[in-house]
Amino acid sequence: MTAHIEIQNVSKRYGSLTVLDGLSLTINANEFMVFLGPSGCGKSTLLRMIAGLESVDDGTISINGERIDNLPPGQRDIAMVFQSYALYPHMTVADNMAFGLRNIGLPAEVISARVAEAARMLEIGHLLERKPGQLSGGQRQRVAIGRAIVKEPKAFLFDEPLSNLDAALRVRTRVELAQLRNRVRSTMIFVTHDQIEAMTLADRIVVMNNRKIEQIGTPMEIYSRPASRFVATFVGSPTMNFLPVGLSGENGFARAKLPDGTDLQTAIRLEGINGSGHSLGIRAEAVKLANGTAATTTGKVEVIERLGDRTLLYTRLKEGSVVIAEDVGNSRIAIGDQVALALDGARTHLFNAEGRAWHNEGVGHG
Amino acid sequence: MSSMSSGRIVGRSTGDRIILVLVIALALIMMAPIAWIIALSLKDNKELMTDMNSVFHAPYTINNYVNILATSSVFRWILNSVIVSGGLTIMTLVLSSLAGYGFARLSFPFRNTLFVIVLLGLAVPEQAVLIARHQLFSWLKFHNTYHGLILPGLAAPFGVFLMTQYFRAIPKELDEAALLDNASRFKIFWKVLLPLTIPAQATLGIFTFLSSWNDYFWPLISGTKKEMYTLTIGIASTQTNFAQSEGLGFLMSQAVFAGAPILILYLFFQKYIVTAVSGAAVR
Ligand SMILES: Nc1ncnc2c1ncn2[C@@H]1O[C@H](COP(=O)(O)OP(=O)(O)O)[C@@H](O)[C@H]1O
Ligand SMILES: [Mg+2]
Repeated sequence: MTAHIEIQNVSKRYGSLTVLDGLSLTINANEFMVFLGPSGCGKSTLLRMIAGLESVDDGTISINGERIDNLPPGQRDIAMVFQSYALYPHMTVADNMAFGLRNIGLPAEVISARVAEAARMLEIGHLLERKPGQLSGGQRQRVAIGRAIVKEPKAFLFDEPLSNLDAALRVRTRVELAQLRNRVRSTMIFVTHDQIEAMTLADRIVVMNNRKIEQIGTPMEIYSRPASRFVATFVGSPTMNFLPVGLSGENGFARAKLPDGTDLQTAIRLEGINGSGHSLGIRAEAVKLANGTAATTTGKVEVIERLGDRTLLYTRLKEGSVVIAEDVGNSRIAIGDQVALALDGARTHLFNAEGRAWHNEGVGHG
Repeated sequence: MSSMSSGRIVGRSTGDRIILVLVIALALIMMAPIAWIIALSLKDNKELMTDMNSVFHAPYTINNYVNILATSSVFRWILNSVIVSGGLTIMTLVLSSLAGYGFARLSFPFRNTLFVIVLLGLAVPEQAVLIARHQLFSWLKFHNTYHGLILPGLAAPFGVFLMTQYFRAIPKELDEAALLDNASRFKIFWKVLLPLTIPAQATLGIFTFLSSWNDYFWPLISGTKKEMYTLTIGIASTQTNFAQSEGLGFLMSQAVFAGAPILILYLFFQKYIVTAVSGAAVR
């Protein structure tokens, strides 16, 4: 059982405050869709509207062609895992999972079979008679997922389910979720503000900001062709470098004049680029030390972050802007060193003052 | 909590010892009058009249208690008290839970105004409405009935307040999870939320029962027929004119007798009373 979810022109207002403004998107059957955005941008609200916990002020939501935005939550055939897990504190783990099944009047054998199966899958069989208060955070999280699984719903909704776990457990659970996803074929919508969770789990990501959708795309599309300066800033770690540039043309491709006066040839078509106040975006991985190769510019290293496999160098250019460059793991560079940087012009992005984005190979969306 | 108490067993610090001694001393001071009452109740009235010091030595007797039980109406009075206090307690719990749920979870017009009105009820002393209530009950012919004894206590703003706060403290996600679990509104109330309020129910129930059991004022006014006396009124009615001097042992046995059910209640619900009084977070 799976759900094809169609969200059309959906808006949400709290009094005079508009939280979501005319959003449309389609979530395909069996897709793992992640809603990504900063805190307060309306991700949970959208998720809760799909679940039926918030009313829809404008627009429609359909599942498999059938409008559901007026159905009560229990009739939408959807399961949700809350950030706080929301386990029933006075019920055992087994009863927590069985509660919803009893409410729809499933026979006892079916219920116990489903609970046993979910417990086996999530390795919580030994916890079935405990109460939530006797479980660790990670175990509660599993029970919350178990409670969703036993319902065999058309769609799973997760609202930041990993954010209450400590760092190590979060990474482990993330991997387990990815595995679970392959065993339970169902549509999944996962809300997070953590771009790494989004990148690692998603089939597609919906990047949200400020009442609207900024971009919908696969993780690599979002990463390599961000639709706006907001997306470029929000996704990727370290964050993308931005340099104010002046633009000129060379056989159809934009040539950017960096703040220190050097020219950088890009692979972005000049045609179509509009607006003013352009800036050049380039990720740290495309800024290397110029060892023999032609240097683009030079800067002074101010901060060094050693990540083991690579080293991030925060370098200040002559005119004052900071560029993060990437070096090998056992970099010999020290703070205060003057370094020559090579910027890979083929891996750059251009943005105008309104935040519109252009990439190589044609004009980006946005 | 458990690590703390096990730590105490391993090594008791001097500070802990001092506190322990102080607590024991305090307990002795508080228990002394109770022991005194019990001792007096086990003495013959005449003997006490001639020599108060006889309380410290034999002979002891249970005659005073026998005399209480010999009062023909005493079991009726106990029954009355159980019906009034028990009935009031159960109904207060039901009403306060429903009202608390409503104030905490439902949205309806004038909800906040109504809640404030309920809170204002906390500030109205019983004496202020007594005469009006007496006249009303007299006109309704409610005096000398069980509902006449119970009804005034049912207007329990404290219970409504307590349960409202308690329901508010339960995360809304639980309701939502249950909603997604196909539970009806009543089922959410009954199966999900209400079980979580048991500590509050116990607190409220104990306080309601105790204050109703000990109440002297309203039963004195409303239950004027001997067969409608509650235990407190009934026992008071058997006291002779010079009980303080001539029937001290009997008087004390009455006090013990009337207080015994409360002691039993306390032993059963000790855990909840301690949490209720200390205001510690439950759950
Ligand atoms: N019940 C509510 N009443 C008023 N404002 C709300 C309510 N719920 C959420 N909001 C507002 O809606 C916005 C989006 O909230 P939410 O969907 O929870 O954001 P996110 O999950 O992306 O952090 C926030 O600005 C929040 O303050
Ligand atoms: Mg949220």
